[in-house]
Amino acid sequence: MSIYILRRLLGIVPTVLMITLVVFVMMRSVPGDPVVALLGDAYTEEDAIKARVAYGLDKPILVQYVIWLGRLVQGDWGTSVLSGRPVLKDVLVRLPVTLELIVLSMAVALAIAIPAAIIGAVKQNTWPDYTATTVAMIGVSIPEFFVGVLLLLAFSFGLGGLLPSSGWVYLPGTCPSMVCGVSLWGNMQHVLMPAIALGIGRAAILTRLLRTSMLEVIRTEYVTTARAKGVSERRIVLKHALKNALIPTVTVMGLQVGFLIGGAIVVETLFAMPGLGTFGIDAIFARDYQQVQGFALVTALAFVVINLLVDLTYTFLDPRIRYA
Amino acid sequence: MADGDGLPPSTGRVIRGGSAGEAELPSVGGLAWPAARDRSQSPFAQGLRRLRKNKIALVGAGIVALLLVVAAFADVLAPRSPITADQTRTFQRPSWEYPLGTDQLGRDMLSRIIHGTRVSLVVGVSSVLLALFLGVPIGLIAGYHGGRTDTVLMRAMDLILAFPIYLLAILLMVIFTPTAGLIGAVKVTGAIAIVRIPIYARLVRGSVLSIKEKEYIEACRALGTGSSSTLIRHILPNCMAPIIVTTTLGIATSIIVEATLSFLGLGTQPPTPSWGWDLKANISFIQANAWLSLFPGLAIFVTVLGFNLFGDGLRDALDPRLK
Amino acid sequence: MRSRHFLSGLTALASILFLLSDQGLAQTPKRGGTLRVSYGNEIANLDFHTAPGYEMMWVAMNVGCGLVNITPDGKFVGDAAESWQVTPDGLLYTFKLRKNVLFHDGTPVDAAAVKFSIDRLMDPATKSGMRPFYEAVHSVEVLDPLAVQIRLKQPYAFMLHMLAAYRTGLVLYSPTATQKYTLQDRQQGKPGAVVGCGPFKLIEWVKGSHLVMDRFDKYFQPGLPLLDRVMIRVIKDPVTEMAAFKAGEIDFIASFSPEHVDTLKAQNPKAQIMTGKETTPMLAAMKVTVPKDGKPMSKERAPHPIFGDLRVRKAVGCYGLDRQEIVKIAFKGQATPWVGMNPPGTLDTVDVNHLCPYDPTKAKALLAEAGYGPAKPLTFEVMADTEKSVFNIIATVIKEQMARIGVTANIRVLDKVSWMNTTLQDGPWDMYVEDLLSLITLDSNGYLSNSTSSWSHPRHNDPKVDEYYARYARELDPAKRKVIAKELVEFMADKMYWNNVSGSPFFMVAQPSMKGYVYNAEFQVHFHKVWLDK
Repeated sequence: MSIYILRRLLGIVPTVLMITLVVFVMMRSVPGDPVVALLGDAYTEEDAIKARVAYGLDKPILVQYVIWLGRLVQGDWGTSVLSGRPVLKDVLVRLPVTLELIVLSMAVALAIAIPAAIIGAVKQNTWPDYTATTVAMIGVSIPEFFVGVLLLLAFSFGLGGLLPSSGWVYLPGTCPSMVCGVSLWGNMQHVLMPAIALGIGRAAILTRLLRTSMLEVIRTEYVTTARAKGVSERRIVLKHALKNALIPTVTVMGLQVGFLIGGAIVVETLFAMPGLGTFGIDAIFARDYQQVQGFALVTALAFVVINLLVDLTYTFLDPRIRYA
Repeated sequence: MADGDGLPPSTGRVIRGGSAGEAELPSVGGLAWPAARDRSQSPFAQGLRRLRKNKIALVGAGIVALLLVVAAFADVLAPRSPITADQTRTFQRPSWEYPLGTDQLGRDMLSRIIHGTRVSLVVGVSSVLLALFLGVPIGLIAGYHGGRTDTVLMRAMDLILAFPIYLLAILLMVIFTPTAGLIGAVKVTGAIAIVRIPIYARLVRGSVLSIKEKEYIEACRALGTGSSSTLIRHILPNCMAPIIVTTTLGIATSIIVEATLSFLGLGTQPPTPSWGWDLKANISFIQANAWLSLFPGLAIFVTVLGFNLFGDGLRDALDPRLK
Repeated sequence: MRSRHFLSGLTALASILFLLSDQGLAQTPKRGGTLRVSYGNEIANLDFHTAPGYEMMWVAMNVGCGLVNITPDGKFVGDAAESWQVTPDGLLYTFKLRKNVLFHDGTPVDAAAVKFSIDRLMDPATKSGMRPFYEAVHSVEVLDPLAVQIRLKQPYAFMLHMLAAYRTGLVLYSPTATQKYTLQDRQQGKPGAVVGCGPFKLIEWVKGSHLVMDRFDKYFQPGLPLLDRVMIRVIKDPVTEMAAFKAGEIDFIASFSPEHVDTLKAQNPKAQIMTGKETTPMLAAMKVTVPKDGKPMSKERAPHPIFGDLRVRKAVGCYGLDRQEIVKIAFKGQATPWVGMNPPGTLDTVDVNHLCPYDPTKAKALLAEAGYGPAKPLTFEVMADTEKSVFNIIATVIKEQMARIGVTANIRVLDKVSWMNTTLQDGPWDMYVEDLLSLITLDSNGYLSNSTSSWSHPRHNDPKVDEYYARYARELDPAKRKVIAKELVEFMADKMYWNNVSGSPFFMVAQPSMKGYVYNAEFQVHFHKVWLDK
């Protein structure tokens, strides 16, 4: 087992390398480079050529990639040509925001999915079931940014500005810079709408999964036994079915990370949150190669690590799965 | 995005990845119907019957049908041209003359939304079909030949799957450089399609793997039947159901991705009427003229909902496990 | 007598009441507080001498200080310089520095620092965008610790304008700090590396989040700045910006989208909306030449296949554009239709709208002369980048107007960097819609429109334009300058080397509680006298 884990950990490396290499090459296939953005309206051909040489942008792409790797191994994630900022520092500053957003989005998704699944499982194929399914389906049919816009309309522009439309207030203890707003209440206010916007879309698949798993459990033997013992129906459903259904659900939630990271890009842009999503998209648009690499790296790492955890969870919880 | 159940598969590898949810249909393993079938009891006939009983799915089907009609007859249905600007009539409220009002350039929103159906459906449907036409052969070849071919192809698929869906689509669109008109739509289609190819490849490959062991394939080989005909005649029909379901649900996802790309400024560019673009461009005016972005948003929502309901219904109908 | 006492008493009472009212007490500036500013775009980096973008410049104007500043009515006031003298021939500028000006690291702002800063700007190795502005400078000499002399090669009528307000104006760098820290340290805003002599010192910059500057206690103007702190946030979306403004989360919007001004006014009737005559031109630039050998920026030029022909340029740009209509649709009438090269708010501006009236018939006639018509229709591409949605709107209206004269204009929308990539590197394009640098003087546009500059995107190669600019810059008599200006602007319109559509309006928005800000368009954004009436 531990050999398997070790092998998987080693297997992370090629995947992460491949992803970062692909992103590296793709960014250099886009028109424009950081020197164009850096020099701006002071652009002259001679200055640009000198700058490109100075930043090593004139070397062949693969050579540049190897240089980037070499520095990375020493812990240097590079420095942005455009802003002079060390990439790792900025990634660490932005990480808590996105992390919180993703975790809370999942919480929102579960908050919708669990009741909907319970209704669906207990009252299968009746109107409440259909309603719950349809409600979940509605959530998945609206683009995240539109949900965000509707929320903004309702709570920021309407209702006298109940919730702030942008910005961020950090949780106590997580302030990454010298000056930041820190307060639990402020943080909650800022993260609520984005988390809802991002989480609503995930609720549908979780609902469906929970419902199906619960239905399976409900049909199995030991629940019948529990019935025979006289435990009330409700407790059967809630205790046994739910607990067992949560296991595959948790694993699926891990698999949803891909959608969440992508959705975070959009939601963060809409709500002007200083997270990794805005970090990445701004870097892509500004042709900030180094920042894009940092973004790709942290995204890929998050991805493969979570996948590994998901696989391990499978193995522990379901002995039927065999891994060679 | 209404994706697969994600239940742990009973055979084969766990399919994971940014956009892989749909590939995890348990039906991949469970839908290997025996070759001998009674026509009237064919899974498709049974499926259709179940589908007809599912009212919600029928609603979805109805929406999809309506959209196809609107897209096909957009020129006839739209009262005006969607791109003609009328500067004397900007920001008109919905009225008898302009049922959905006009935008900043005086263009009729109703016409824009009707024509926008074309872009959304074309991009949505063709991106998925393109992914299908590229992904299915890859999956067939990988699964059938196995060995090195399989490893190489699946590694490539893994690579695409490892990307969060939006990251890859954004990068691709930035490289392609968003444009207007048909070319613009084609670029968006391509970007979305590339992201979805692995879903079909894995789906089909899984199906192939589970069937490969069946003896009748061995028999075919022994008889010397060509491999391609084996593939097409025996294996392919068994993946039909999950492919159909994945495709329908995939269209819904594609439309959302297209709208989101437009929101980021990377979709089909103006003046081509696109719901995503209209939604994004008019968000700025949402306080004074909310309907300008609400209507495109509503259009996206209804379309995606239709495909999701229909696809969900198809999945329920064609998956014999759920009764 | 009783009535007289009564009357004087009444007058005294009235005077006291008057003094106690608005006129009296509420106008006393309050010290303290944090000004929360919103930017619509990200700051590129914090090396003031090289970074692009207004967002950086406005920070530089508060963290840094220069020799002189300029008031909205065009008068020069001393910044670090107390006084200055110019010799009659205009070749020697002597600046006497104030005694008590310090950099934020404690080192003195002396003549050596001034020389260091100007030398640095002029050094090609620095790659500063302001280098071309110092072309006329021969050398800088330190006369004594508080006196510095700038010697020019030829007279330059706009030396003070340039030092005050071309881009950031001259920003003085501390020799100590510059040598101690690297370019990257400055770019990223490392504490201690970004050192200026302005009223605020840089505390922290977290890209994508905020920039914070605090009062510099040893600022040379006593009692200033009044604010404790200025905090800048980036809110890209105008709708979000409006929501934050309405909720009172921000006090000042540095550059607000003109499209939404009406909405903001409706939501915040008491907000201070500051604007003036436009100082930035909105162009529908047409490319005049292309590289002959296909190599970008090649000195050998060939006429652009479409717009190399003057008749086509005039047909499309001069007579084919209904500027009134464009302004009406794109700016809801809040801009000025304008043909002249420098916008209405620029010094020595010239109104030449009469040279290019909207005349579709004439346009069609010119096109026919040039060989275009129903048999050979003219088609070209209009580029618009996504930085501002108004570019796309204008491009759409232009497309519509071109259709009226039988011309097909296809719109290509691209992101800002792609746009820059194409235009800056002499790439293929026909027409683009864009607003370029804001112009305080006609002279400051030389670097965007003469024949030799690499920033001149249309790449016309007409040396007559350069002659006009040179004469204009060297003419020390303001009246004669006006004459040259008129000739230059008329010439540019006649040749359509610079196709202006209108002015590009600029708006700043402040909460009613923000007082003491003096509006001077994009040129001077100073917070030192700002106070919060809360």
